[in-house]
Amino acid sequence: MRVVLNDLILYREHWSLSARGSFTDGIHLISGDTGSGKTTLALLIAGLMQPSQGSAEREQVESLMVSFQFPEYHVTGATVREECSSWGGDPLTILMAVNLAGKEDLSPLRLSRGELKRLHLACLLANDYDLLILDEPFSSLDCLEKERICGEISSRQKGITIIFTHEQELFPRVDYIWEIERGSLCCRGPLPGALMVWDHAPVSVKKLVAQGKIPDNITPKDLLEVACRT
Amino acid sequence: MQDIRLRIGTAILLCLSAFISIPGAIAVFLWWLAFSGHVFQVIRMRIIMPVAVMLAFFSAVLALSGGDGISYFIRMMVIVLIGFWVYAEQKSGEFLRFGVWLLGERWGFELGMLADMGLQTMHLLIRDFDQIRLAESLKGFRPGWKTIVPGGVVLVSGALMRAEHTAELLAARGYRNGGSLSPVFITPAKDILLSLTALCVLIIALISVSEFFILYG
Repeated sequence: MRVVLNDLILYREHWSLSARGSFTDGIHLISGDTGSGKTTLALLIAGLMQPSQGSAEREQVESLMVSFQFPEYHVTGATVREECSSWGGDPLTILMAVNLAGKEDLSPLRLSRGELKRLHLACLLANDYDLLILDEPFSSLDCLEKERICGEISSRQKGITIIFTHEQELFPRVDYIWEIERGSLCCRGPLPGALMVWDHAPVSVKKLVAQGKIPDNITPKDLLEVACRT
Repeated sequence: MQDIRLRIGTAILLCLSAFISIPGAIAVFLWWLAFSGHVFQVIRMRIIMPVAVMLAFFSAVLALSGGDGISYFIRMMVIVLIGFWVYAEQKSGEFLRFGVWLLGERWGFELGMLADMGLQTMHLLIRDFDQIRLAESLKGFRPGWKTIVPGGVVLVSGALMRAEHTAELLAARGYRNGGSLSPVFITPAKDILLSLTALCVLIIALISVSEFFILYG
């Protein structure tokens, strides 16, 4: 399974975005400033937007899902129960997992943004997709929930997971790091080597690297472990 | 056209011309082809087809009830094209400047601000609609009656929520009514020339073709 970006370029009036490289099985983190083109690239990779030049080829990808930053866009059920079912999941199991039991008959749009995001991610992660693209999956979530979602993402055993985020605190286990810089996608490589050249790295990671303490990965556990290392 | 005053004036002249007569509508259509500069952009607008279908329906009803449905369709369709041209040329904040210039800092400011907010909401609704459509297709829903209701609910609730947030923000910033603004407009010679051509189009619409070309038998 592979996603190949063949010299992909998108031109807009005062802006352009270019990308080349390939995404193999594992978890890929793409970081970049707000407005750098993360959402646009997510749509291009998923084939939901056509590039001006080049192509995005999804080899042996049979199931694909994109999670948009705003969970409202995904709502198709009139009630929370229907919404869970529309993803093919068991409402009771999902709602228990995200602490929303008892809200089955509410409209999903009556939930707070954080609750809806929790529900959306729980429904999404209950399925196995060959290619899963998550656009800002941690927005609107509190620290505890971010940690739980990081655990869920880290436990994905197969397929390609691409996370677009400007999160600076909590991360799942990641296999590769990419960055969008000056309108271009750059591959920083696999971890832990990528940490040395990761421009958008969180301050905590940068400090550790500066001290010569290189964590194996960027999960809170990895960072804590290396910070305590003498 | 950079000057919104001339753009709105031109649009009014062209709409009047198109509404008055078929020769006027044809002249406006030619003006739109020659000067609007947004022909391909308008053709690519997905909303143009539903609007044309709606107009065709009303024209058919008019024709069946004894009216001139074809003439109505042609004239209204040309007016719609002019509307799309104004929309495509519009820039954020222009209505506010135009409103203050036309009606002053009390009513002009309020109406201009409302128009700008309306336009902004329309842009956001289009963006939301695109995202909803993509999200539905990812879930395996095909566009149809089944997806209209949930999509519409998300669109309306999103628009209402944004309106509430905007109102709260205005109240929090102490807004009551009106506001001070010194509108500045850039008026290139091209804008004046285009407005004059629109005036010529109105003259063509007012005078019958035979009189215009002095075609007497």
